[in-house]
Amino acid sequence: MREALSSERDGRSRLLESMDSVDAWRPGRGTAESATSDQTPTKDESDPASDTPPERSGTGFLLEAVTGSTVVLCLAASLLHVLLVFLHVAPPNAVSERYSSQINGWIYPLFEQSWRLFAPDPESVTRQISARTMHTSPDGTQQVSDWFDLTAVDESAVEHNFFPSHTTQNMLRRAWTSYLELHGSDDRSNSERALMVQKYLRNIAANRVAGHRGGTFEAIQLQVITRPIAAPGAASSTDGAVPEPPAETRYLPWWKTGPDEN
Amino acid sequence: MRTEPTSLVSTSQNRQSSPVSDAYAVLIEQPISLYAASVLRLGYGLLYLAFLLREFPHRREIWGPDSPWTPALATQLFDQTGWFSILTLSDSPLYFEGCYALAVATCALFMLGWRTRAMSLMFAIVVASFHARAIFMTDGGDNLMLLMALYLCLTACGRRWSLDARRNRLQKSTVGCARRLTRLGSNDLWCNLVATRRLLVTVLHNCGMFVIAAQVCILYGSAGLYKVQGGLWANGTALHYVMNLDLFQPWPALSHMVDSQQMLVAVVSYMTVLVQVAFPFVLFGRLKYVFVTILLGMHLGIAILLGLPLFSGAMIVADAVFLPDRFYQFLGRACRRIFSPPTPQDVEALQTGAVGAVGGDMNVADEAEHQRALPAGRHPL
Repeated sequence: MREALSSERDGRSRLLESMDSVDAWRPGRGTAESATSDQTPTKDESDPASDTPPERSGTGFLLEAVTGSTVVLCLAASLLHVLLVFLHVAPPNAVSERYSSQINGWIYPLFEQSWRLFAPDPESVTRQISARTMHTSPDGTQQVSDWFDLTAVDESAVEHNFFPSHTTQNMLRRAWTSYLELHGSDDRSNSERALMVQKYLRNIAANRVAGHRGGTFEAIQLQVITRPIAAPGAASSTDGAVPEPPAETRYLPWWKTGPDEN
Repeated sequence: MRTEPTSLVSTSQNRQSSPVSDAYAVLIEQPISLYAASVLRLGYGLLYLAFLLREFPHRREIWGPDSPWTPALATQLFDQTGWFSILTLSDSPLYFEGCYALAVATCALFMLGWRTRAMSLMFAIVVASFHARAIFMTDGGDNLMLLMALYLCLTACGRRWSLDARRNRLQKSTVGCARRLTRLGSNDLWCNLVATRRLLVTVLHNCGMFVIAAQVCILYGSAGLYKVQGGLWANGTALHYVMNLDLFQPWPALSHMVDSQQMLVAVVSYMTVLVQVAFPFVLFGRLKYVFVTILLGMHLGIAILLGLPLFSGAMIVADAVFLPDRFYQFLGRACRRIFSPPTPQDVEALQTGAVGAVGGDMNVADEAEHQRALPAGRHPL
């Protein structure tokens, strides 16, 4: 049948049709029925009774039932997914609070998302994170190193780089914001997650100090200087008289490092 | 063949020409926006490949067994969240290098569209694994790429501009349903199964494309609406603060230059919010081309000014889902005209009408097929 119909066309387009086009070989229809309906579309239109085949095979009917329900299922799942994503992304409301367990059950972990890109407000501070290490020599004396500016290393790696690495733009920055979210102004890790992020932050600092400066150490301390970004007017009207906005320095406790502190 | 395929459309229209039955016909009969799906495949495959290769020097620090986010911490978090990653199955450095190589190969093959369905599943597993392993290092762009990798599994994203499409085109002997029929005898069940499979693939594809489009709308809508709540976006100074973050300042001189134009900063801040909020509402008219162009400009600006090419790239590729097949066909023709001047054989082929023999990405029959398949004026997205 196809060969006859496509005699004037090349094999290429025949292939495409078999790949993409709506096919006459609908489930639930006998082949003989399909073949005739292909070639006599006018009959199809004039005789509304002809689109239900006079007799269906059992398997054909079953297939039609299966495909029909699958179509409905796919459609319902898509709509439900979009609805759940919407509720996950939207601010907390009566609906999302009532169905929070269902929403979280579906969204986490794969479809978790947040699109607060520089929103509601972009960060109006810059953070400078430095680290210093402590080494205890065998005779018991403790040596504390100078501060090593971790953020400066990241910044110099970003400068004049068309494609900055995630290790410079995201690693330390996000580790610190996660630490801040989980700890607040208190440095005690009150949850399992908080402790994990604390270890992560410590490992980043220890790896970087070891990588850049070397030396042996058994403990590390971080210092975070938070400086507000000046408002736009202040920066442009500067004549030297505008004072630097006040910076806030936070010292984190000394953390032990070493192979046994995973 | 011209007269055949609208069987269900025409019969359903005869039966009852309601919007519901029309929509149902679109859903089950024709895979929509095959070019856009392929552009998404190309785009995200390329972006993740670029990401992996760019981080090659840092791969151990990000995903390796010696990462600051140790395998122990990662597995601990997976136990809490239910994630899974192939990367934490072994702490061996050799295993990690194997995974990395596998990821690079998967991205490349997925991008090229080789055995696309299988590769799309592999791609999703790879992206999910690498994403989860370094979850504290991800940003919005990574998040979007993960979601798209998952959704693309549902779509028939290898039908255009792919090695699969090329192979199908070059296969002279088509083993279609009709052929098998003559060979196997009138096998009713076999044909039914083939048709069922095709229908399910189409439905899955269309649902996937719908979810992708809806996801992009939710992204822009929420990004815009969250900004509306911020005081700095309201007074038009938000971009000033963004451009003064040192980690997002690859070209400080350029950032300062833009930052010194207070009017420009205010206008672009407002535009950002307005365009994002309005985006989901303009998609059903021609205005969407204007918006997509504005967003393209915005994202190119972000890529250069803020040093976020991966994030911007992910966004630009996402926007591409809203462009019609017509546009991509035009693009393909234009590219071919520019990059490969017609050979004498091509000209001859065009004259005789046997365009199918030309090894280009598309041909006239291909386009005619699609123009026929989609009724005039009805655009999939």
